[in-house]
Formats: sequence, C-alpha cells, structure tokens
Amino acid sequence: MHVLVVDDDPFSREMTVAVLEDLGYNCQLAENGVEAMEILAGESSCDLVISDMNMPLISGIDLFRELRSQGVTLPFILLTGDDPEELWTQEPKLDACLFKDFSLEEILPQVINEVLSRC
Amino acid sequence: MNKQRPSLSSKIARLREQFIEQMPGRVEEALHYLTILRLDPNQRATAANLHRFLHSIKGTGNSFGFEELGAIAASGEHLAARLLEMPLNVSVPFWDELAEVLARIVLNTETLRQQGASSSQEHDVPRFDLAPIDDSEGTGGRLIYICDDDPLQVEQLATQLQCFGYHPVTFTDPAKLRTAMAAKRPSLVIMDIFFPNGVSGADVLAAIEREMDHPVPAIYISACDDFEARLNAIQAGGQAYFHKPVNALDMVTTIDELTVQKKPDPCRILVVDDEPVIAAYHSLILQEAHMITFQVHKPERVLEVLQLFRPDLVLMDMYMPGCNGRDLAKLVRQVPDYFGLPIVFLSSETDKHKQFSAMRVGAEGFLTKPIKPDDLVAAVAIRAERMRALRMLMARDSLTGLFNHSTTTQMLENAIANAGRQQASLCFAMIDVDRFKAVNDTHGHPVGDQVLLALARVLQQRLRNSDIVGRYGGEEFAVILQGIKLELAAQIIDQLREDFAKIRFQAGEVEFSCAFSGGVAAFPQCKDIKSLREAADRALYQAKDGGRNRVVANNE
Repeated sequence: MHVLVVDDDPFSREMTVAVLEDLGYNCQLAENGVEAMEILAGESSCDLVISDMNMPLISGIDLFRELRSQGVTLPFILLTGDDPEELWTQEPKLDACLFKDFSLEEILPQVINEVLSRC
Repeated sequence: MNKQRPSLSSKIARLREQFIEQMPGRVEEALHYLTILRLDPNQRATAANLHRFLHSIKGTGNSFGFEELGAIAASGEHLAARLLEMPLNVSVPFWDELAEVLARIVLNTETLRQQGASSSQEHDVPRFDLAPIDDSEGTGGRLIYICDDDPLQVEQLATQLQCFGYHPVTFTDPAKLRTAMAAKRPSLVIMDIFFPNGVSGADVLAAIEREMDHPVPAIYISACDDFEARLNAIQAGGQAYFHKPVNALDMVTTIDELTVQKKPDPCRILVVDDEPVIAAYHSLILQEAHMITFQVHKPERVLEVLQLFRPDLVLMDMYMPGCNGRDLAKLVRQVPDYFGLPIVFLSSETDKHKQFSAMRVGAEGFLTKPIKPDDLVAAVAIRAERMRALRMLMARDSLTGLFNHSTTTQMLENAIANAGRQQASLCFAMIDVDRFKAVNDTHGHPVGDQVLLALARVLQQRLRNSDIVGRYGGEEFAVILQGIKLELAAQIIDQLREDFAKIRFQAGEVEFSCAFSGGVAAFPQCKDIKSLREAADRALYQAKDGGRNRVVANNE
C-alpha cells in the first residue's frame, strides 16, 4: 500500500507520515501540488493521496480538481487547519476532509479504512 | 507491526521537540516578512507567506496538541488574512499586533519546551503558592503582634517599634493572641517564652500555627538566656531569639529582614531597532519577563531618550541604515553619564571578527539572531542587574543605605525641575542629630553609628515612597518631600523628631536617647536649589540656636 503525502509544512507532513508508517504503509512525499502531480505522472504506483489544503502555488482542492480533470481517480483525503465542513461543501467530491488536531493520530487510520473500503 | 521501528508515540514526541526547537528560526523568518510588509504593504506574495506561516503553525500546533499555540497562531492568521484582503495603498493599523503574535508564538513554544524538559524528568511535583502576608491595608505589612505577660515590658517594646513605623498590637494573654491571629494575620509575632503557670509561649504559638495554613514569622523573647530556652524557641519555628531587655534597633533590623519582601524595581531596557516590528517583538519578550522597555526606531533620537528613560541597559540592532550600531555605541559612550551603560548588540552577524570589532567599542555582549526568548531575557537581565547593583553602590551611603550627598543633590535638582514643570510645590528639610559629637565621645563610634542607623530607619520607614531621604554627611540628613506645602512638611518632620527622641539606645549598661533639629524650606518660595538649600540651612541653624530638638520652617 503506497500513499502520497502532500504538505508544504515539514512537521505536519512528518506527522502524517508517522501515523501512516505506523499502519505499515509506504509513503511518498511531495512539498506542493506540482511535485505531487509529477510523482503521480511518473512510474510510481500509488493507492491513496493525502494532501494539506493550504499550500503555496496550488491549494489542496485545486490539486484534487486538477487530478480529477486529468482522469486520476485515486482516493483523495484533504487535511486542513480550518473548518472541514466548509471545504467539503466547496468540493463535495472529496473522499474525506479532516481537521488537523491532536486526534488526527486516531482518526486518520479510521478514515483511511473507510475510504479504502468504499473503493 | 514492525517492532524495530520506533513507536508512533515516540516519533510524534520527537517531531514535537523538533517543531519547538526550530520555532525561533521560523519566527525570525516571519519577522522578516513583517518588516518587508511594513515598508511596502502591497507585497502580496510576502503577505501570503506570512499568512501561510501562521496558518501552518496553527495547523501543526493543533496536530501536536498545542492548543494555546494554535489559538495564538489563529489570531495572527486572522490578521494576515485581513492584510491580504485589504485594498492596495491603505495603511495597515495592526503591525504591532502581528509582532505581538509572533512574540507570543515564540514565548509559548519556549514554555512548551520547558514543560517538555521538566515532564521528562519528574511528574507531579506538588506545588503551592504562599498567600501574601498581610499588606492589604495601607500599613504596608507592618502589623506586628506582641505577646508578653509583663504589661510594662510589652508596652515599652510596642512604643519603640512604633517609632520605627511598625503597627504593634500587644497582648498579655496568649488566648487573646490566638483569637487575634485567627481574625487577622500579622506580618510577624513577637512572643515571650515563659508565661505564668508553666505555659510555654513556644507551645502556644505552635498550636496556633497548626490551625493556620501558613506560618507567620516569629521572634521569641525571654528573660533567660540559657540554652534550653533558645532551643525551645528554635524547635517552635522561631526565626530569631532576643534576650530581654530587647535592643529595639536590633529587633527592628531583624523584623525588617523577616517581613520586608520588597520587590526590586523592574529593569529598564531601551530597545533600539530601526525596524519597529522587530523592536516591538523584542520589547514584548522582555516585558513578559517583567522588564520595562522603551523602543527607539530612529538612531538620532537615542541620546534624547536615554536622558528621559534612564535605562539600565540598551539592546541595539547592529545594522541600521545611516548609522550602524558600532558608531551609535561609540557616540553614546562619549557622553560621560553613559560611560558605564551596558550596550548589548543583537544581530544575525555570526562572523566572530565583526563581533569582536563591535565589542571593542564597548559592547557588553553580542547576541545572534534567532535568539531564544530565555536566552535574550537572561543575557539582558544579568547585565542590567549588574548595572543596577553598581549604580546602587555608587549612589548610596554605605552605613545607612540612604542616598549619598551627590545623589541627593542630583535628585533635588531633578525634583525642583519636575515641580517647576508641573507647577507643584516641594519641600527640602535638613536634619542634624543634636550633640552627636558627645555621643561618639562618650559611648564610642559604634554606638554613634547605631544612632545614625536608627535615624535613617525612622526617616526611611515613616516617610512616603515619593519622599527622598539622603545622608548629607556626618550626622546630617536631607529629606525631599514632594508635592506638599511648607507647613505640612514641617509638621511631618516634627512628628519624626518626636518619635526619634523616644527611641532608647543602649551602650553597655547605660541607656540614653537622642534628638535632632530640623530646618525646612519650600519651593517655589525659594526659586532654585541654591536658595532652597541655604534657606533650609538657615532654618536648621535657628532650630539649633533656639535650643535644639525642634523643627523650624523657613518663612522668609
């Protein structure tokens, strides 16, 4: 199982990676949306994208829309420091939208399971 | 699960540590954004960077469970968002608020760092705060209970303590003391050891203490000077032991030590930085450590502000446009008054040679950015306090701790200038111990010193904080009473004269008392320092001439 983690903040990124690696997943990292698209366009096999919302150049939602417009249908989980409900109304096609707080470490694994079981 | 990998919680713990560790550097970068923006608020890309920085601190802070930090960053993010939404060329009113947010972020992570460090060492150390000792009423914590079965002795001691400005309440019955203690806590209890019928003062007090949350300092007195009585007193928690008859001055010295918890005045720091946000940021960190700061953004204003603010230390940016820190330090040093003023440079300069050249113009220290708040506070506090101690030594008389002649003169000059500006009145009193030479000749200089010390204490403790007391030389003292008229000033000094005359001094087996004469003059009746001093001096001479032990007001 390979997960692409997109986040410009190194701590936030590493935090997500720590949770995922603990679940036994392999992680690939991207600092921004452009890098993420390059990785996905390349050879690598990826099963899931977890992206931060607020990033320079391309926001998490823009990345999601861009990927969908390119026909990439990978499950996509958005992480945000703001109200997740609002983002979800902005983009209802997101597989999940999560608020970053200390419970992330418990909630993220559950959400991943849910999202993957829907696929 | 792979057992060789570190556990998730230890990984997260390490991430949290790194996050905290790197915060000063990241905030430094954000400060840089802020300075750019302040010069040109239209730099949208920089504003976006600042916004993202705050947003990411909020998000990551929350993910790590640092909720307070998340909230601080959120308030900054909100401001940054407003900045992004503002139309171009509109002045931005909240730069200082943004600087404050950055300061709070760094201060909060510092707290987190300390918590992290301490929590890894020890858990749940019981902590409690002591309730403040009675100083609720205007007496300044001078309430003292004296309990002694001998009514004469207890009254005598009370009278003596009163002369030094304490508020003694006397009891001959230990049971009454107990009631009084429950009703109102004093700053200190003076307790006799032996009561009739074998009642021990130490036991009584120990029983009262058990009923109270916090012990009150106790001094024991006794007619016996044997080992058992002293041991008894110590075992009951007594802080001092006096043998009757008690020397009042010694007693007062001990009471002062036990009760006066005078908070030192906060250090005053002048922050010189051409970048207002950086100056505001450093000021906030220092203020958080209870220092008083003043910010200067224009190097050319430094000399003027130095005179008005009178700092204990100057924290100066090394590189400022038009005038670098080295030149400015040199310039400040050329003013004789500021020869000893500590100057600490703050810069991102890591080149040792350049640092060294800065030190050669007399910098006290060189701090490199980004600096952790604790390091900044420590570096500033230690130097400012040393400056303070030195000033104190230079400004005060070594026997009495009062201001010395030159300091008193300078303060009189300042006070007159102030009173002139505010159109207020001011009185100056000269006080001279009567027949002091005879005390020295009869009882010796150590006893003479006791008299001077007692007078110094009376003057210092009985006058208001705004009054300035100095030892002018020998047995001559000077008092500056601000904001009052001649008649009242003369009344106050006369009251002190009466009290001082009641103090009983001991020289071996001999008991004696002393008196002083005083002369008072007023500003603006006397227009300058010279005429004010001469008028007070003439009044003092009249008092001496009129038979001593009196106070004369100069009404010329």
